Amino acid sequence: MADVVTQEAVLAELEAILLDVIGDDLLLDGPLTMATSFDQDLQLESIEFVALSERLLETYGDQVDFVGWLAEMELDEIIALTVGQLVDFVVAQANGEAAPADA
Amino acid sequence: MPDVVANGLKFHTQHVTHGDPDPARPQVVMLHGLVIDNLSSWYYTIANPMAMVADVHLFDLRGHGRSEMPKTGYTVDDNVDDLVALLDLWGIDGPVHLFGNSFGGVVSLAFAHRYPERVASLFLIEAHFAVEGWGEHMAGSLALAAFGLDEDAVQAWLAENADRKLSRLAKRSERFLMETSLIDDLQAEQPIGWLDEIICPTYAMYGSESDILDRARELEAKVPGCELEIVPDCSHSLLTEQAGLVRERALAWIERVGSA
Repeated sequence: MADVVTQEAVLAELEAILLDVIGDDLLLDGPLTMATSFDQDLQLESIEFVALSERLLETYGDQVDFVGWLAEMELDEIIALTVGQLVDFVVAQANGEAAPADA
Repeated sequence: MPDVVANGLKFHTQHVTHGDPDPARPQVVMLHGLVIDNLSSWYYTIANPMAMVADVHLFDLRGHGRSEMPKTGYTVDDNVDDLVALLDLWGIDGPVHLFGNSFGGVVSLAFAHRYPERVASLFLIEAHFAVEGWGEHMAGSLALAAFGLDEDAVQAWLAENADRKLSRLAKRSERFLMETSLIDDLQAEQPIGWLDEIICPTYAMYGSESDILDRARELEAKVPGCELEIVPDCSHSLLTEQAGLVRERALAWIERVGSA
């Protein structure tokens, strides 16, 4: 059965993935928030963002259409992505698509 | 599985597909440019839109991104050998569509020359191949960067002023340029004399302000049937400067040649 995916859960998962992908080098003063931007705040290298996406795909890939989502974005939109945009997208898709599959 | 071992080295790869991988769809492999580049320049621009209609395979060239950085072995042929090994590992023996940006363009061309039966088409952006005087050019641009990055003053400036990304990239680039045979290997490349032997459909894009516009003319003149597009007011960084336009052309290209 599929549990409801909450914003808090996805945020926590994302923080764990970031720590795992980037390690001690992660620039994080305090907790990760919805307003944190990957480029400006975390200064994620683009190759690190790819690694992050891959980990999210492993975790939520069967519930969330990441490729379709990124395919619709322009380069500058991907660069400007915030944690909140990513979390909201995962939450919306995971809950929207988990329910029918579980019925 | 992002990390694989091919041709004796560890490679960071990404297989971008919409839904499950589908061998019946066009198989696309994208090759990036030199030193400060890696597969993310494709991931951020064309890979995901392309994955809606094709299976897209990305990898960091040896020495780049998250792939292994051996001390030696940076000739175009070494990179062609890597691509062969990766295709074999991925189980792709049918013809692929190669997308090459800058140095990735010359690797794509050389692969298409050595293995014509394994290439369905070439889509080249600012392909940067050896012509007369290539050695001097590479010595000028790359070695200068290498020495520049090695100066204490520049290092100190980077540490104080640059953000995390830039200083990490600079450190990695410095290691690449100073501690491997990259510059020597590239300087030793000989001008290509076989462009007229390329037999697959080829599309080439260059920026009108590119410093290697002579390559565009050479491709158009020598590669049979090569379609050339010069994009106004763009530099060598065409892929990121005009990502939307390049994406449009890339998707139209695969629609035209993808079923071949």
